[in-house]
Amino acid sequence: MLIDEVTSSGAMPALEMMVRFAGSRQRVLAHNIANIDTPNFRPMDVSPGGFQAALAEAVERRRAATGGESGQLEWKETSEVRAGADGFLELTPKTASGNILFHDRNNRDLERTMQDLVENVTVFRAAIDLMRGRTELLRQAISERS
Amino acid sequence: MYGALDISTSGMTAQRTRIEAIAQNIANKDAILDSNGELSPYRERIVHFAPGDPSAKTADGREMGVHVSMIEINQAPFNWRYDPESAFAAKSGPHTGYVPEPMVNPVVQQMNAMEAARAYEMNVVAAEATKAMTAQALRLLA
Repeated sequence: MLIDEVTSSGAMPALEMMVRFAGSRQRVLAHNIANIDTPNFRPMDVSPGGFQAALAEAVERRRAATGGESGQLEWKETSEVRAGADGFLELTPKTASGNILFHDRNNRDLERTMQDLVENVTVFRAAIDLMRGRTELLRQAISERS
Repeated sequence: MYGALDISTSGMTAQRTRIEAIAQNIANKDAILDSNGELSPYRERIVHFAPGDPSAKTADGREMGVHVSMIEINQAPFNWRYDPESAFAAKSGPHTGYVPEPMVNPVVQQMNAMEAARAYEMNVVAAEATKAMTAQALRLLA
């Protein structure tokens, strides 16, 4: 269908995965922040590096199959990231912060948590801005303006 | 995304409960009588947290976030102050002439209040970040 070609052309599928990943990871980070004072709590995160490696593989597969100009990304499930049926990415946080334990047996790392939060929002914003560029192009094409 | 806002809100609610308990502890730090006028010094309230939010509407929400698991009433011994003239001084026993006062350390309460306020702020920052992301995603369509 034409509309599929429109939404799966160029970098759109990769940008979509980035937005979905950042949206799901935001919940994990908010959970870690909400439990910053909870005794025995061990903050867990999803590795963005692992996600990016899996995304790079998916992009490579698409490039090999279709030349890279169009086509959906085929997401291979990793131990932390699984594409759910409802369009959401299901994340299983397995990456520990590795910080030392405090007396309440919580190994929080305040600075790193807030840095992760800022990074996540930045990634989300970058992906959305690039997607907006694509949709703007589409809008101009539809309205036949240059 | 809305889940992330729920999680941050659960953190704010839990920290607010903690600040309320601390305010109560400070307000009652010299209260030696109960509401009936009987000698029963106030006991410090300690708020305990646990992961998860049983009050959330969705399954995901119940799994994530934080909630107040219990409010402990500290059974530590009273702070005995020597005041033999007081009508509430012990008449016999090892504490004869001493008045029992609540074991509430204002310095500890102040520190806990600061910690709770900062943790509340962290949750606000996380909620702001989530809000900014939602606004960005909405602008994609506008």
